[in-house]
Amino acid sequence: MSDQTTDYRKYLDPRTLARVSGLDLRARLIVEGLMTGMHRSPYQGISVEFAQHRPYVPGDDTRHVDWKVFGRSDKIYLKQYQEETNLHLICLVDASESMGYGSIPGWTKYDHATAIAASLSYMAIQQQDAVGLGIFDAVLSRFFKPSNSPGQWKVVVNELQQIPRWNKTNTGRILSELAEKLRHRSLIVVLSDLFDDIESIKQGLRHLRYKKHELMVFQILDPAEIEFPFEDVILFKGLEDLGELLTEPRSLREGYQKQLQDFTQQMQTICRGMNIDFVRMNSGESLEISLSSFLAVRAASIK
Amino acid sequence: MTSPISIQFLAALFLAPAFAGAGALLVGIPILIHILNRRRYKLVNWAAMDFLLKALRKNRRRLRFEQLVLLITRCLVLLLLGLALARPTGCNDSTLAGLAGERNSLHVLVIDNSYSLAYEASRPDARTHLDQARKLARQIVAGLSAGGESVAIITAARPATAVILKPTFDLQSAVAAIDRIEQSFGSTDLLGALTLARQIAQAEPRPVPRYLDLFTDSTRSAWIIPQADALAKTGTELAGLFHVQHFSLGQTGQSNAAVLNLHPSSRLVTTRFPTELLATVRAFGPSSPITVQWKQDETLLPTPPAAQFDATSAPIVQPRVVFPAGGGHTLSATVLSTDRLPIDNTHYRAVDVASELRLLIVEGERGSGALSSSAAFLQLALAPPQEGTGKSDSNLLPELISDIELAGKPLDSYRSIVLCGVGQVSPAVADQLQRFVQAGGTLVVTMGEAVNADNYNHVLTPRKLLPGMLVRRMASAADSRGYTFDFNPRGLLHPLLNIFRNEEKSGLDTVQVFTYWQVQLPTDSPAERVLNFVSDAPDKPADPAITVHSFGEGRVVFFATTVNADWTSLPAKLAFVPLMQELVGGTIAGNDAWMNRLVGQSIELPATIKLTTVPSLTDISQRQWPMHAQTINGATVYQSDPIPRPGIYMLQTGLKKIPIAVNVPDDEADIRVLDGPAIKRALGQIEMESFGDQLSAQGPGAEGQSHHDFGWIIMLAVLALAGIESFMAMRFGHPVKRK
Repeated sequence: MSDQTTDYRKYLDPRTLARVSGLDLRARLIVEGLMTGMHRSPYQGISVEFAQHRPYVPGDDTRHVDWKVFGRSDKIYLKQYQEETNLHLICLVDASESMGYGSIPGWTKYDHATAIAASLSYMAIQQQDAVGLGIFDAVLSRFFKPSNSPGQWKVVVNELQQIPRWNKTNTGRILSELAEKLRHRSLIVVLSDLFDDIESIKQGLRHLRYKKHELMVFQILDPAEIEFPFEDVILFKGLEDLGELLTEPRSLREGYQKQLQDFTQQMQTICRGMNIDFVRMNSGESLEISLSSFLAVRAASIK
Repeated sequence: MTSPISIQFLAALFLAPAFAGAGALLVGIPILIHILNRRRYKLVNWAAMDFLLKALRKNRRRLRFEQLVLLITRCLVLLLLGLALARPTGCNDSTLAGLAGERNSLHVLVIDNSYSLAYEASRPDARTHLDQARKLARQIVAGLSAGGESVAIITAARPATAVILKPTFDLQSAVAAIDRIEQSFGSTDLLGALTLARQIAQAEPRPVPRYLDLFTDSTRSAWIIPQADALAKTGTELAGLFHVQHFSLGQTGQSNAAVLNLHPSSRLVTTRFPTELLATVRAFGPSSPITVQWKQDETLLPTPPAAQFDATSAPIVQPRVVFPAGGGHTLSATVLSTDRLPIDNTHYRAVDVASELRLLIVEGERGSGALSSSAAFLQLALAPPQEGTGKSDSNLLPELISDIELAGKPLDSYRSIVLCGVGQVSPAVADQLQRFVQAGGTLVVTMGEAVNADNYNHVLTPRKLLPGMLVRRMASAADSRGYTFDFNPRGLLHPLLNIFRNEEKSGLDTVQVFTYWQVQLPTDSPAERVLNFVSDAPDKPADPAITVHSFGEGRVVFFATTVNADWTSLPAKLAFVPLMQELVGGTIAGNDAWMNRLVGQSIELPATIKLTTVPSLTDISQRQWPMHAQTINGATVYQSDPIPRPGIYMLQTGLKKIPIAVNVPDDEADIRVLDGPAIKRALGQIEMESFGDQLSAQGPGAEGQSHHDFGWIIMLAVLALAGIESFMAMRFGHPVKRK
């Protein structure tokens, strides 16, 4: 059992996932790996339709104990219900040129974002939640309304597998546009490096919150962008037409990291102020953090 | 192109100016690397460009400043490294010089260790002058700066020796070399020592200050030498190369008594006649009456009463010393005084006492009558028979042979060979005669009817067995009274004729010579005229009748007429016997020159010494001194190493023991001290500093005499800058360790 657990959990590592070609398979492996490591099943939640009883095991939520059965038989059983969709999940994936950067061979920030988006979609569809998808750069190039139909999973995966056009980005405007477009209250997961004007992003997020949507922001950064490990003289060629810079990176490391840290903290502050979950992700690290965060938020939204 | 003036300027500032130039060139390397690095870069597509540009805008000035400081530091490290290796010098006595730990100079120490330096002075911590010289030299070396100042050491006892020829920076080894300098028993070779010092200075590649420190006792023997001109010339040259400093270890009022010489009064010592001994005893400085003790083979001879001696005293005499047996004997004369230089108180002498002298008379003409041969009169004159017995009591033992027998006859056992009217001499026989004379024998050549002048001129004259060419046979007219000798018993006489001094009736002045061979003496001939013929014209030079000249260790006597009655009336005169005895016997030298050596000379066995085993030499303490065999002209010659100590040595030849006397040279005994100006004059009136036997505060051991070498200081700065560079490179450039 433990071996099996180990085998699945390794699929949370981007370096392993990079060797798995199909996004649907990636998503399944990620979810399986995540689930085998959790004590509490994410599939059994509060629903209206009773499904079965099962014996209590330590760690189960005592709210689900069937006290009537306990009164009759002195045995503790939990009531389990057939879940039903009560959530609209929309993954908004940044497909701008900056997301195409990746210092890990075969694994860009966009790969990381699509892996997360596919995994979340897979989990949601497994729970009969409606799943939607938005892919954007300067414009919202693709948008699929949420649906819980069985074919939605394939639609989402197929779309995420398309190679982007690697244009410039305009995150704030896209968020505002989405806020106008959505009618149903949804959980919107933003997957982007957020390399854009912070005020514009702030406006977009505020617009979405105004429309009562739940938001999760995953800032996806490459390990090289976080650590800035360059030594020799380098000509940095800016993506999204941001010019060039020939410099000795060692001398700029400290200043760069401070700028990035300041930006991230500003984003955190903005998100905290709007009750938005903000998670900075290292595309070189395990996907467990992002997925666990998502599940926690989803559980809270169902209550 | 660098001008010569610039090169001279750099050479004056730096010991190795090339490194300064190299350092200046190396400065370009960090700049070049910086430029090349800007050209060689990697290309990285970068997403977070905005943050990078913001960081650059915010830190641009700081970054530029840091990079500039780093670049300047790196350039400075290389520049200063070059300067440090170039060894800048300067600042003799400035405050800045005090900061520099290193000085740079060359010190050549010339230490006189000749035997006069063994003089025992009244110093508490240095028994002899040499001890004091070693002490001063050690103090000077101790005051030198390690790494910058080098030392060469020369000893001035003959032969002058470079103890450290190539200047060393290892001051400890220099001190050890000073401690190893031994007291010599030889004389001073100051000229040789100064010549070595000049060579060392000329070989020194560094343009550093040079100091020549002379440690002598300022005695006449060291400074007043026959080669005074050469010494003055060398001194002048040294003044151009060195700052010359002289330490005078001698003290005014020094005194020394010494026996400078001891020898028999005659050239030949025999068992037949008593010998007179002469000893040269001198006292230098203040002295009191001195007693001289004589010894013959360790037997005390009569001791004369104490007498006063000075620096010019005449030799004293030990009369009538009898040697009962022939062979090697030793003599010594010792000054019985307690002076401070005891080395020269005794003088030794080894003498080879002859019990008989074997002569070989070669007659060229055999006569039919009793006294008709060419050598008959001579044989009788040299060994006249006693009346009654018919035997001679002369110590001369003549042996008569014909000229035909001469070829191939061993000559080693004869002390003299007389050619009496021999007609011709073959080259082989002439070579044999030449070796005989060179080895110490005496050759007497007399004329006669049979003499072939051409043969003599071609065979004997080139071999220096005749004083000159035989040019003409002079014959007087039949009715004339013949030629006469230019002899005046009251005039100036040759030493060989001293026996006829004031002898009015010797008959030499009335001798008639009817025929003789005129010999032409070259202008530079070494031959001494013993007797001349009276010239027949006032303006005509007199022809020599008897000459004598030295050749090798021996002598050659030329007699221009016959030694029988054929050409002269001399055999009928009373003077004939003593004249012949003097000419033959008086020219025979004692064969003991090789037995009397000076310290520093080696002992070489003459070929005439018969050996039955490999010779061995022992000193008085029975220590063996090796004898080395050498082959010279096919003959094996044994020679010792130079003998370093005076005394009596014994040479074992197998058949007998031969004493060898080794003495200190007589020129060191005069320990009277010269003053500073006299020494300055001896060195050619050069600029020099004179010190006593102590180092003063201003002396050469004091600080600040040398140029300071700032190389080490700059090297410290280089190290400090290298440390700063490393820190800045880490602080400004290197990555923070990843967590």
